[in-house]
Amino acid sequence: MSEPALLEVRALDVHFSVRGPGLLPSRLTLRAVDQVSFDVRAGEVLGVVGESGCGKSTLSRALLKLIPATGGSVRLRGVELTTLPKAAMRPLRRSMQMIFQDPLASLDPRMTVGEIIAEPMKALLPAMGRVEREQRVLRTMQQVGLLPAQINRYPHEFSGGQAQRIGIARALVVEPQLVICDEPVSALDVSIKSQIINLLLDLRAEHGLTYIFVAHDLATVRHIADRVMVLYLGRVMEITDRDALYARPLHPYTRLLLSAVPIPDPALARRRRVAPAREELPSPLALPSGCAFRTRCPLADARCVAERPVLREIDGRYVACHHAEAAAA
Amino acid sequence: MAASLLEIRNLAVRFTTGDGPVYAVNDLDLEVRRGEVLGMVGESGSGKSQTWLAIMGLLAKNGRAEGSVRLGGEEILNLPQRALTRLRGERMAMIFQDPMTAMNPFLTVGRQMTEVLEWHRGMSRREARARCIGALESVHITDAARRLSMYPHEFSGGMRQRVMIATALLTEPQLLICDEPTTALDVTVQAQILALLDELRQRFGTAIVLVTHDLGVIAQLADRVIVMYAGRQVEQAEVHTLYGAYRHPYTEGLLRSVPRLDQPRSARLATIPGRPPDLARRPAGCPFEPRCAYASEICRRQMPPLVSLGDAHLRACHYDGALGPQERGA
Ligand SMILES: Nc1ncnc2c1ncn2[C@@H]1O[C@H](COP(=O)(O)OP(=O)(O)OP(=O)(O)O)[C@@H](O)[C@H]1O
Ligand SMILES: Nc1ncnc2c1ncn2[C@@H]1O[C@H](COP(=O)(O)OP(=O)(O)OP(=O)(O)O)[C@@H](O)[C@H]1O
Ligand code: SF4
Ligand code: SF4
Ligand SMILES: [Mg+2]
Ligand SMILES: [Mg+2]
Repeated sequence: MSEPALLEVRALDVHFSVRGPGLLPSRLTLRAVDQVSFDVRAGEVLGVVGESGCGKSTLSRALLKLIPATGGSVRLRGVELTTLPKAAMRPLRRSMQMIFQDPLASLDPRMTVGEIIAEPMKALLPAMGRVEREQRVLRTMQQVGLLPAQINRYPHEFSGGQAQRIGIARALVVEPQLVICDEPVSALDVSIKSQIINLLLDLRAEHGLTYIFVAHDLATVRHIADRVMVLYLGRVMEITDRDALYARPLHPYTRLLLSAVPIPDPALARRRRVAPAREELPSPLALPSGCAFRTRCPLADARCVAERPVLREIDGRYVACHHAEAAAA
Repeated sequence: MAASLLEIRNLAVRFTTGDGPVYAVNDLDLEVRRGEVLGMVGESGSGKSQTWLAIMGLLAKNGRAEGSVRLGGEEILNLPQRALTRLRGERMAMIFQDPMTAMNPFLTVGRQMTEVLEWHRGMSRREARARCIGALESVHITDAARRLSMYPHEFSGGMRQRVMIATALLTEPQLLICDEPTTALDVTVQAQILALLDELRQRFGTAIVLVTHDLGVIAQLADRVIVMYAGRQVEQAEVHTLYGAYRHPYTEGLLRSVPRLDQPRSARLATIPGRPPDLARRPAGCPFEPRCAYASEICRRQMPPLVSLGDAHLRACHYDGALGPQERGA
């Protein structure tokens, strides 16, 4: 723990107030991100995985202040971001970029691809000349597997995977230090996906980039991440080095996730096909008492109902579970 | 062999752009049978989505489809909008790749869902609401009643995807086209959605088209698989044959690029070298030629036709030798 972390997140909360049902609806609190703490070290890739709706995108957006946090702290190289005024945030924007999950929806339909990719450079690197900007646009397009000939086309003229690559190019073109990638490769075919992952890792090797990599594809995360954070209903369940996590997941939820990964082999996939459990999924509008995972956990007992497990260290890993030792043994 | 529900013959989709025409789908022949899951995989930008959008009558304004598509024997390609709207509500439905752009941001999710039933099934608002709650629960959205009064942007990416699946199922279509139905879903919810699709085809004989980049999902659910490259079908086979005995170099590249959890982690992921094809050009020969390790002289000159290798296995390639890493020399 010698080097200070690039990003320190402490007890971060993002709560939404949503309408309840009925004619005179009451407001309900939706805890999308609930007391989340973690560090990101310079030059590492932190994978973030977890169920759909567990708060991965909300967390990503809150780190960049695209939505306000309702509590907690986010520090970039020691500078507190949550209270930073807008003007002071501006210079930091260049060092932190985001690749958005919904590729088409995040691109301005009236701008050409070339304009979209050039825009962050205009805003964040105003001194750069037009020629250099154009060269950079072309180079980045090639890096992500877009054809330079497509530079004057509009986003809706692209396929889902091509639109995703436009988003990746737009984030990488300003050479940021930290890139938050929200499902960056989900719409890509496996070959382009591998090409983008290799590119991200090359950029890290060359320029020391740091990534937060949100994905639901655990095989891809194993490939790119150094450490992995597992979220469930807005809470951190486990943060562990990649190899340890995949070899021996300690948290019961991590084990469930790993056991459900589809295998790209029809014989194996069909033999293993288990009827998925129809267990009751809890709602972020009414979190269970104690451990959020207890309604689906095979190890749950009275303590799990009564007491919320804190994230604690076991064998150099961080796990929020009362009975993690049972899995460690 | 089950009867075919949908027959596609010679389908072509072309777009007009500022830079000239884009040939997105070319000479496509295939059929979808009742009760089967037909998988479609392929390069990003190879015409998978446009194939199905054309069939649904939902191409962008600058797009045009030609050829023939028969649903239960009846020609449906380029029908007038009215007839198409009816077909879409009653016999076929599509789950779109980009859920956010397919939903109306100004209407609550409940309104968008109940409208389908009021419009196509003549249900009362109340009846429709009850059905929608059930449909949301079947795709594992909790607090379904409350969720109905929320707007699309208040849902996570994966939840929007599930709302679309639930909406598509409301009218119990004969043909369900799923374009990347599980891309935003984590593995546990994905497993549930796949089980739901499997149940549909078994219980109602629904024909399901599954377009996805996830070769694990295809391996689990598809009966037959179509592989697309550059707007063309390059291979078609029963699922076990495709994974075990593929005969097209592009299929090989695709299968070898998949990172797998049940195998050791490699330092660098395999990719298919070279650039994606430019669909504004129409090469005389095989579109995969610039990237193909097996290419020879004829590949540059002559487009390989899709031919049968027997056992319902088709492929479009001139190369007759064995595929596989051992033959590659390097
Ligand atoms: N603007 C909003 N208003 C109300 N609730 C919201 C809003 N944005 C997100 N939520 C809720 O917060 C929770 C977390 O959503 P989020 O998009 O962060 O999930 P996610 O982990 O990214 O899921 P996915 O994998 O499906 O993309 C969900 O229950 C969602 O409905
Ligand atoms: N409106 C349009 N105008 C011009 N070209 C278009 C238009 N829509 C799609 N295209 C082009 O048609 C080709 C086929 O697109 P399609 O969306 O079918 O790809 P896809 O196989 O579904 O890819 P992905 O896996 O990335 O979703 C792409 O190369 C795309 O750029
Ligand atoms: S704390 Fe209890 S319920 Fe939660 S994961 Fe651990 S054993 Fe399961
Ligand atoms: S036809 Fe030739 S270039 Fe095309 S895939 Fe076969 S061997 Fe390769
Ligand atoms: Mg998300
Ligand atoms: Mg598509």
